[in-house]
Amino acid sequence: MEKILVSSRGVNLYYDSARVLKDITFDVMEKQVTALIGPSGCGKSSFLRCINRMNDFIPSARVEGEILVGGSNIYAGGVDVIALRRNVGMVFQKPNPFPMSIYDNVAYGPRLHGVKQKDRLDETVKQSLVGAALWDEVKDKLKTPGTGLSGGQQQRLCIARAIATEPEILLMDEPTSALDPMATARIEELVRELKKRYTVVIVTHNMQQAARISDRTAFFLMGDLVEYDATPKMFTSPEDKRTEDYITGRFG
Amino acid sequence: MKDRLPGIVVKGMSSAGIFIMIFILYFLFREGIPVLKAVTLKDLFFGDLWYPAENPPVLGMFPLIVGTLAVTAASSLLALPFSLLIAVFVSEVAPRSVRELLKPVLELLGFFPSIVLGFIGMVVLAPWLQETFDMLSGLNLLNASVLLGVLTVPIVSSLAEEALSAVPGDLRDASYALGATRFETTRKVVVPSALPSILSASLLGVMRALGETMVVLMAAGGAAIIPLSIFDPVRPLTSTIAAEMGETPVGSPHYAALFFGGIVLLLMTLGINLLSAWIEKKGKLVQ
Repeated sequence: MEKILVSSRGVNLYYDSARVLKDITFDVMEKQVTALIGPSGCGKSSFLRCINRMNDFIPSARVEGEILVGGSNIYAGGVDVIALRRNVGMVFQKPNPFPMSIYDNVAYGPRLHGVKQKDRLDETVKQSLVGAALWDEVKDKLKTPGTGLSGGQQQRLCIARAIATEPEILLMDEPTSALDPMATARIEELVRELKKRYTVVIVTHNMQQAARISDRTAFFLMGDLVEYDATPKMFTSPEDKRTEDYITGRFG
Repeated sequence: MKDRLPGIVVKGMSSAGIFIMIFILYFLFREGIPVLKAVTLKDLFFGDLWYPAENPPVLGMFPLIVGTLAVTAASSLLALPFSLLIAVFVSEVAPRSVRELLKPVLELLGFFPSIVLGFIGMVVLAPWLQETFDMLSGLNLLNASVLLGVLTVPIVSSLAEEALSAVPGDLRDASYALGATRFETTRKVVVPSALPSILSASLLGVMRALGETMVVLMAAGGAAIIPLSIFDPVRPLTSTIAAEMGETPVGSPHYAALFFGGIVLLLMTLGINLLSAWIEKKGKLVQ
């Protein structure tokens, strides 16, 4: 039974007067992996950052339309952005652990939201690291700096940090673009695992990656959502000529 | 030959620099060490009377050293918290337009001629202190420390601001994305990430206060006593050297003692420099 978790309704995004997203309307299903693909500058990352309102930090950015998360519009007045971001975790392009210990990295979110008891934090840190498939590699060095890990481990640490606040949704902005093929494979495997508990929206440059790990794929081009469908359909018999051209590598 | 020429030029210039440094050190030691013929090292460091014009001269530098340390410590205590707050404000709080105005202003203030500050200390601050606190003289440790603080704030805050601005946007984004407010992000991520650089900026400010001469010469009161409160006058090493060097016969014990004071100052700044380098190195290891 598929259930809609995130619903974009006529979303337009402007940077000053430039319109970078045009009437984006589609639904993200709960506990699925939704891939956003498209050439550079097509607006896929900008759209991702609309879902946790990270565009708020860009003074020139302005959003029109509605994005419903769990049924309520996150762009309505009086929305608690802090609570929203706690519910919508994010993993970035480049691994960006804080310059603090592995433990403190993962405990950062829970501590922000008021968890103080040591045993509860310990448990959250452990569960998050287990969830990010990193626990076995770091359980004996939780007090060492997170920045001392390898790139792939750092990215899994960032995933652990993001799931430590127990979000429903996990946004991933090209999470493997800075990693080698081995580390990429591990993250992809992890994403397939993560969707059992979280709804994942992943931006990727890599079409094979989208085909491998996603249930649904949205193809963006110059601010338009060209096509959105189940991944196998998108990659075998897309409706739109532009989708086909992009997927077969004729441009992009 | 054409390839090697730039290398030879660079090597030549840098070794000239090092040679001059060594020469200055040699000169300082050659002129300063002979003081030990007139007075023991222990009496020089820990003697608490400085009467260089007596016959024979009494050369106890303890009050001067304490004066230097006191004025440096007091000015740092006043200036460093201010500098940090200004740096955080400029880097993290102020809107872009305000930042673009404040940053050059801070940098300009860093070049403020210290003698002008000395004037302000003598003409404005001293009379005010004298009246407000009903003191005999407003030229004292507090006055000099406030002025030195004013002198160091622009330097430290400008460097600390650069350290804060250099914290990658990625780290801030990660913190915001976890639901942190701007304040929480600044306190828990940005400042700790920039801490090694902030500390070494602070030490640079401390060093500036330590070596400053004009302000303390004009505003510190100039009494070679061990200060018991911030309202006592002091006579730091720098102002002692500046005031007395012109009036002492070359080669006399007093002359050598003043050079020795220079050596002490040099060792202090060297110590702070090494500390700052160590902190930077340690910080790099963490990141």
